[in-house]
Amino acid sequence: MTRSIAVAYAVARKDLTSEWRTRELVPALGQFVVLALVIANFGFQIDSQNATVIAPGVLWLALVFAGLVAFGRAFAAEREQASLEAMLLTPASAAAIFAGKAIAAALLLIACEAVLLPALALMFGTPFNAELVAAVLIATVGMAALGCLFAAMVARVRSREVLLPLLTLPLWIPFIVAGGQAVQVAMGASGSYNQAVALLIDFDILFVVLTSLAARFVLDD
Amino acid sequence: MSAIVAHEITQRFGSDVALDAVDLALDEGEHLAVLGDNGAGKTTLLRILATAARPTSGQLAIFGLDAVRERKALRAQIGYVAHAPGLYPALSAAENLEFFCSLHDVDRKRVPEALALVGLSDVARRPAGRLSRGEQQRLAIGRAVLHSPRLLVLDEPDASLDSDGPDLLASVMRGRSVVLATHDHALANRLCQRTVMLRNGRSLGAGTRLRVVR
Repeated sequence: MTRSIAVAYAVARKDLTSEWRTRELVPALGQFVVLALVIANFGFQIDSQNATVIAPGVLWLALVFAGLVAFGRAFAAEREQASLEAMLLTPASAAAIFAGKAIAAALLLIACEAVLLPALALMFGTPFNAELVAAVLIATVGMAALGCLFAAMVARVRSREVLLPLLTLPLWIPFIVAGGQAVQVAMGASGSYNQAVALLIDFDILFVVLTSLAARFVLDD
Repeated sequence: MSAIVAHEITQRFGSDVALDAVDLALDEGEHLAVLGDNGAGKTTLLRILATAARPTSGQLAIFGLDAVRERKALRAQIGYVAHAPGLYPALSAAENLEFFCSLHDVDRKRVPEALALVGLSDVARRPAGRLSRGEQQRLAIGRAVLHSPRLLVLDEPDASLDSDGPDLLASVMRGRSVVLATHDHALANRLCQRTVMLRNGRSLGAGTRLRVVR
């Protein structure tokens, strides 16, 4: 167990160090989510009445597409550099390597969320509070696990840019439904925040366990 | 003890046969060169020996262990240099090796030794992406011996190496069982005791001392 944690930490640290030095992904994702908000701001007639209804949908759309890019790059870069095989030909467990990749990709998406959430509050005039941040962070865990698993699966095929959304989006729907509800309540709509967040945590546990088990078969072939 | 015993190793990709019932054996400490033209099946054979790919059929034992079922245990004993160096360009040469120390659960003190062995001590802090192709190849070789493997599988390791390359390879191969794929017959003769020739996925026969199992 300690060994797996050490491997996951080393892999995540390596990915984050590479991103910090190259600044390849996070600035682009930050710009993407801000542009998505600007377009939505012009596309919808936002006023104080409908902002809390429209904003959660815009948030999840921006987050889903930013996530697809972040998780897709997690394994595509390894394939391009031919470094994934070198990593897998060590005694380190595939599940630990996968966990490290997923943690790093999730942290990069969280960096993107740090731009998205305040920008959403600024442009849409919606509340920016701890409940909103917590709901998005909890959803990010499960989305990262699933996104990275499918990214690993499609990284070796040529049409991965098309396949990744086709495989990932249907399985992200539970997070978007429960997360959307939690965000709406956090923005002031009626409903049970605790129930939505509990559902998100259930999905997180389910998909983190399932993807950890599946990672071995996806990576170690 | 045999380092490798391969029996009728076959690899198919759809209808294409990349390796056709290849047999070979290698004793511990022996150096074997795999020769052949492009597309002969050298890389496919070496990927199987390095446990990077599973054969479609046939049996492969490395140090007495089944190379398919027990590949995880074997990976601590195998060092593999593939065609592409497979390095992290944003990390320095030393950081690349330190990362692999973590994966191999090897003390990071091995890093300066490995860098010195492949002649990269002076560029230890330079990002791998800014190393020359030859230096990247040296770094990949350094990574392959980081965990002191008993078996080295080298796929055209001389590619991009300068005139010191053969000496470098001789020093990393010393005391280990080695399978080396190359187009360079002179290098094969210098570094290896035995050779095997592949053509269209078939073993055409061997140098004087090759022991063919079948």
